[in-house]
Amino acid sequence: MTNISGKAYPSERILSLRRKTVSAERYLSLEQAGIITRVYRQKSDLPVILKRAYSLSASLDEISITIDPQELIAGNRTVGIRAGVVFPEAGISWLEREIETLPSRPQDPFHVRPEDISFFRDHIAPFWRGKTLEDDIYGAAGEEISAIETVVKINQKDHAQGHICPDVKSWLIHGPSALAANALSLSGSSSGEKKLFFEAAGMVLAAACRFMERYSGLAARLAGDEPDEKLRGNLMQVSANCHNLSTGPPSTFREAVQSVWFLFVILQMESNASSFSPGRMDQYLIDFYRKDVAAGILDNEIALELMDALFIKFNQIVYMRNGKSARYFAGFPTGFNITVGGTGKNGEDASNELSYLILKAQEDIRLPQPNLTARLHRNSPDEFTDECSRIIGLGTGMPQVVNDESIIPAMRHAGIHDEDSFDYSLVGCVELSTSGNYLGWSDAAMFNLVKALELALNNGKCMLTGKQAGPNTGYLSGFPDYRSLEEAYRKQISHFVSKMTEVCTVVEKCHREHLPSPFLSSVVNHCLRNGTDVTAGGAKYNYSGIQAIQAANIADSLAVLKKLVFGDGLVGKAELLGALRNNFRDNEPLRQMCINRVPKYGNDVEWVDRIGAEWIEYFSEQLKRHRNFRGGPYQMGLYTVSAHVPMGQYVGATPDGRLACTPLADGGLSPMYGRDKEGPTSVLASVSRIPSRLAGNGSLLNMKFLPSMFSNETDRSKFTSFLKTLVKMPVHHIQFNVVSAEELKRAKADPEAYRGLTIRVAGYTAYFTELDSDLQDEIIQRTTQGENG
Amino acid sequence: MAETKGTIFRIRRFSIHDGPGIRTSVFLKGCPLRCSWCHSPEGIDAQISVWHTPGLCISCKRCLTACHNEALKMSSGSVLIDRAKCTLTGGCTEVCPAGAMQFTGRTITAQEVFREVRKDIAFYGTSGGGLTLTGGEPLFQPEFSLEILELCRKAGIHTAIETSLFADLDVAEKISSAAELIIADLKIFDPQEHETYTGQSNEKITGNFLFLAETGKALTVRIPLIPGITDTAENINAISAFAGSAGRNIPVELIEYNPLAANNYRRLGIPFQPDRVFNKDNL
Ligand code: SF4
Ligand code: SF4
Repeated sequence: MTNISGKAYPSERILSLRRKTVSAERYLSLEQAGIITRVYRQKSDLPVILKRAYSLSASLDEISITIDPQELIAGNRTVGIRAGVVFPEAGISWLEREIETLPSRPQDPFHVRPEDISFFRDHIAPFWRGKTLEDDIYGAAGEEISAIETVVKINQKDHAQGHICPDVKSWLIHGPSALAANALSLSGSSSGEKKLFFEAAGMVLAAACRFMERYSGLAARLAGDEPDEKLRGNLMQVSANCHNLSTGPPSTFREAVQSVWFLFVILQMESNASSFSPGRMDQYLIDFYRKDVAAGILDNEIALELMDALFIKFNQIVYMRNGKSARYFAGFPTGFNITVGGTGKNGEDASNELSYLILKAQEDIRLPQPNLTARLHRNSPDEFTDECSRIIGLGTGMPQVVNDESIIPAMRHAGIHDEDSFDYSLVGCVELSTSGNYLGWSDAAMFNLVKALELALNNGKCMLTGKQAGPNTGYLSGFPDYRSLEEAYRKQISHFVSKMTEVCTVVEKCHREHLPSPFLSSVVNHCLRNGTDVTAGGAKYNYSGIQAIQAANIADSLAVLKKLVFGDGLVGKAELLGALRNNFRDNEPLRQMCINRVPKYGNDVEWVDRIGAEWIEYFSEQLKRHRNFRGGPYQMGLYTVSAHVPMGQYVGATPDGRLACTPLADGGLSPMYGRDKEGPTSVLASVSRIPSRLAGNGSLLNMKFLPSMFSNETDRSKFTSFLKTLVKMPVHHIQFNVVSAEELKRAKADPEAYRGLTIRVAGYTAYFTELDSDLQDEIIQRTTQGENG
Repeated sequence: MAETKGTIFRIRRFSIHDGPGIRTSVFLKGCPLRCSWCHSPEGIDAQISVWHTPGLCISCKRCLTACHNEALKMSSGSVLIDRAKCTLTGGCTEVCPAGAMQFTGRTITAQEVFREVRKDIAFYGTSGGGLTLTGGEPLFQPEFSLEILELCRKAGIHTAIETSLFADLDVAEKISSAAELIIADLKIFDPQEHETYTGQSNEKITGNFLFLAETGKALTVRIPLIPGITDTAENINAISAFAGSAGRNIPVELIEYNPLAANNYRRLGIPFQPDRVFNKDNL
């Protein structure tokens, strides 16, 4: 479809911009933190939503800006590329502890200028101490959070939750100036909280226009000083584009791309959060593209260069996390997820020229962001599926592939209307969302079902510390039969689910009180219609997502108990319990029996897979018994990002033969590494037994293939067939790593030589050499499916 | 239908290099040839025996205790099997916690094989794949092979056999007619050389091949590239010319030697001497 012949891609300009982006050193930037602090000081008696609006407006008016004369698409939230930004109103305690060690921490370090340390310690921290979102959450629920922390990790405690696919379509149709006028007129005709909301929205949208105008002015000034004619011409174009966008909606493809980027920059300037996602870009940009092509002012070459430029931009904003969180979400999964392909309203194929150009941009840029997702379905054209295979074969782990045939029914099951479910896209890593009207709160918490099982075997006591963590439900040694064990496990799960939802309610309430987000709300339906901030439930859909972790270890462990202990009786109850408490010390034969004597999830052994399915289902039912703070349902996700490593550190030895504190199975639905021996079709068969339809929040399956799978047309076509079969199975998602273990070992030993090497870590792509050493080891260990044989 | 049983040493799903599309390969045990380079030695003997995988062994010695024939002894972290004493009771495989002591194959009914093969039927449909019987030598267990092929064919699964074609003509004919594709491993063209390296002359093979070629059956030729033996230009050209002489367009594929073969010899306790294998002056 897209035929770009005869030219070398990417262009020199793109290569140069890419180089500059990748080689930029990351610094902590406190500029916006300073502005926010000043505004909150000056306006201390205003309602929070106005303080937030004034802070964002002041930031849009004052933050230092720059433009690289080569840039086709301008804009960033800091002068430095990939700077680490702090929003003090959300929480500062971690930075108070870690600011000095930011440069030396093992995962995702940042440089810190000495003057910033004193600015932070003298001016920022003292003002905010005790007043932040985090302070309130811990004040209200600190004890409850630590009481459940062995099993439940509550997220979003010290930052905005992000994770939204805004309504980019209407942003492009109206532009911020019209949206601002609308909000201001609504504020005139309303009262109370709604009036405040409209006032705040109008204020920040107007500031957004001024922000674009500042870029226009800067570009014009730079053009004046630019000796190179071509660069001057480009700067003048940037200036004109930014000016047009500050006064109205985009009228060309290039303006539309610039407009999309401004939207995401400003969202970051309001929230500083991960996983604001552009969604179905091929759908909302296609009209601009076709109009310009018809007018003769755009061809695929120019369009691709603009896509390339936008792709690079998505790598210039990173989300700085605290040291612990950086281990859970390693390598800056900023989570700008772009979705291509998929169905239209009536189930017809919706892929178009831009779907292919966006895939091509992935081939050109090959950086961690954006996170690229391809939607496949029954009627996906072979050409599209094969182009996905080709791009996957490049080995960047993208696009990840999702299955409309499995996901759309899951969304309907979760209560999404038909007019929205077909238009779903992915947010962040693999979180599911409709387009522009959905607050999924998709990372509310991670629920460690494996830890809950440990407690169920040990009367609620943690095997690592001996502390009582859950209710007293008896010891394995005392259970007369498997059913008593199941009973104990059910009690542990429902206990922690109840406690968890209580804490989640507090967290969401505090977000509403501290982080109302009028700019975000103006691009999430129906906040502007009903005058309600998105944090207060203004979106059409209001979910909260809880991740169930981890199907593989649950299925494998319970299968061992069912067969070896309660079935064959080959292993005694007390013997196994003792061995688990002792981390199988001096009992390697028993551990080997646990591993080898009972089949494992991922090998298409139905009875084992069904155990996993049963407990996933039970967990999902427990969630359904609760409602979130915004009145919406909880729903389950089956993904961990990279959290299976730190999550595993809290879990003692498990009956599946896993040693204490070692990683759990990765991804979400992946088998335990090294335990799937029958190849990728068996893995899919096992995975399809886990009820993904209950995973309205998304699920994740990692698969690794060797580069040889893609080295010639014949083999690649087999991979394409593999994808075509996927859409016949109830599996939501697969992401493919194409890399050899040998190569990764080399990369670990010689990071300098592999700086550009990217790898998928669960739901996203990161620079391999930037990952923590134990995470690197873990990735090297994972099964290599293509090697089956 | 009588439950036809056979002996296999492996079933491999997602097999992508044994015929078109995504396939399931079933490896039948037992082979009438004795190729000096054989890269799946566990497939040669029709008899199931036990073998040991040192990499998995945790030296717990449970197998030693379990063996009432004193056929096992421990030697520097791995277990040696005295095959003269072993009566294949399987006691060692039952107690080994690590899966390091195992039978080299298993007896299985054609129905059971079919049920395994059927599992990936969705993948065969999209990829044009199916079942491949390989080995060992599928023609060596004709009844068993035939029944598997027929069960698959009835279920609409594409069928292929990979074979040396060393069999009596009626066997070759019968089984070949039940499969949709024959992948013929032709190793050495010169009959004398063939006997030297495989223990048998290739007259039956070439005869069967020409017969099948004439029936119009879909055929592919594979030549395993064994350094110094089969990979000479002379041999490759001769086999290609032979395939061409059938007057049809029969594709010829060259297959690299499997570098992991040495590992399987170690597990079986059979001496593996690549020098001996690859250099015929030492024979
Ligand atoms: S199969 Fe029986 S006889 Fe042979 S080594 Fe094992 S235990 Fe001993
Ligand atoms: S029982 Fe298995 S693991 Fe133990 S020594 Fe024998 S072969 Fe090795």
